[in-house]
Amino acid sequence: MTAGSLLIVGGIVFLSGSALLAFCWAVRDGQLRRLKEAPRTIFDDDEPVGVPTDRFPSRK
Amino acid sequence: MKPSSILSSLNPATEPDSLASHERAEIDASTRGPVLLFFGSAVFWLLAGSLLGLLSAWKMTHPGLLDSMAWLTFGRIRPAHVNIVTYGWAFSAGIGTGLWLMARLCRVPLMHSRLLVSAAVFWNLGVLVGVLGILAGDSRSIEWLELPGYATPVLFIAYAFIGVWAVIMFRYRKPGHVYVSQWYLLAAFLWFPWLYATANILLVWQPVQGSAQGAVNWWFARNLLGLWFTPIGLASAYYMIPKVLGRPIHSYYLSILGFWSLAIFYSWNGMHHLIGGPFPAWMISASVVASIMMFIPVVAVAINHHMTMRGHFDALKWSPTLRFTVFGAIAYTVVSLQGIAMAIPSLNTLTHFTDYTIGHAHLGLYGFFSMMMFGAVYYIVPRLVGWEWPSATMIRWHFWLVATGILLMAGSLTFGGILQGLALYDPTVSFQSSLDYAIPFRWLRGISGFFLLAGHVVFATLFILMILKVGRRREGPALFAAPDDDTSATV
Repeated sequence: MTAGSLLIVGGIVFLSGSALLAFCWAVRDGQLRRLKEAPRTIFDDDEPVGVPTDRFPSRK
Repeated sequence: MKPSSILSSLNPATEPDSLASHERAEIDASTRGPVLLFFGSAVFWLLAGSLLGLLSAWKMTHPGLLDSMAWLTFGRIRPAHVNIVTYGWAFSAGIGTGLWLMARLCRVPLMHSRLLVSAAVFWNLGVLVGVLGILAGDSRSIEWLELPGYATPVLFIAYAFIGVWAVIMFRYRKPGHVYVSQWYLLAAFLWFPWLYATANILLVWQPVQGSAQGAVNWWFARNLLGLWFTPIGLASAYYMIPKVLGRPIHSYYLSILGFWSLAIFYSWNGMHHLIGGPFPAWMISASVVASIMMFIPVVAVAINHHMTMRGHFDALKWSPTLRFTVFGAIAYTVVSLQGIAMAIPSLNTLTHFTDYTIGHAHLGLYGFFSMMMFGAVYYIVPRLVGWEWPSATMIRWHFWLVATGILLMAGSLTFGGILQGLALYDPTVSFQSSLDYAIPFRWLRGISGFFLLAGHVVFATLFILMILKVGRRREGPALFAAPDDDTSATV
């Protein structure tokens, strides 16, 4: 049980640890700044905010 | 690169005046081969998996049904069903969606598509060999890891290709903000190969001893759901809901909080499946605490999606993608809160070992994940083949059949499971009677399987018609038409 527990706890620490490292990178890279503009990055001039991009096919 | 050349061959009718539209069309076109390959195999496995699921459901009420052949007995077709729908349907659909989203969010055309095509071939080969192995009697009897040892390395190789590809794409992305969906995709793409390899090493090649096997099993199974299916499903929702509505996500701050709290704490959740089992109490307690902390990411996602949709629920009438995606988002909130409740030890003793758990699993993998994938397929495929879905009526039939099916299934198993659990608790009720309580609900579950299978046949037909390009050419690279014309009235 001890070896198994160690492996599992090791696995948990690895997963959580890699997330923490990624989080630190995100902070350093400035990914968490300017959160007001960030959600607009999936829009562009051609598909701007305010224009829906999906619908049922028409029957015409 | 010459965006215009690919675009014009894709759709000559397009006006070449928008750089953004050129770029997007080129990126979409670059994903066509691998994404359609993954979607196509997903549709095939969905049909195969629903047939086996339907058969195993009816064996619960008619134990003698088709039991003369060993490969059709319950002990083989039930794990075959689980593994086909998980690794065949859900993974393939999720990978296809993930590849497309990754290319769009990196804002570069998909690179190394041959690597992905070989990944798709290996993946399907692995699932096929594995499922045939289960039907031949080689199941490993470890929940979510039943595929025999000679199939799993093939799956691992396939997925490792995809993991490597994700790193390359991320490395070559256009500079700028990393959108929340992309964080979810990176988590799913990078953690899964590691998770899968560890679980297989510790359970198949160098098995740990005794009850530690249970701990590894549930650490893997919980993370498969929480660090693969959840991120892919949410990545899709965080892209589709704002993109279809043309409305940025309500609170980007909440979406970031939701992602990082999921990423850092989810991997502690697995042990809540082993409440009452022979494990150190601290492991179970830590896991129960982490499970209750999941309230933070779940509520963050729920508030965000609801507030983005608020005032725009009429969109469910005109957008097939949103109809499926919003159903999936609601199911996500319900199934996650249900899961948190099931991790509370006193409630767990009631639901454990009953049909309630089966209902919960289906609400998660079907109500949430599969519905998200249907929504994504409805959005992505027209952009890859440059063709409109051939029939709005068939899309509506697909939606109502599967929505009815999954609600009937999850509802009947949940209520049947509660009755079963209460009966198991009561010392005056015999074990046989506790099973009798569940029978009518198992009939309902069997009936729900017909709804789901019928819905999947409609969906598969639509998909094949789309690949064969039956129907009309689309009018533009991004939009079908204004959402307020004649079709918007019909639900």
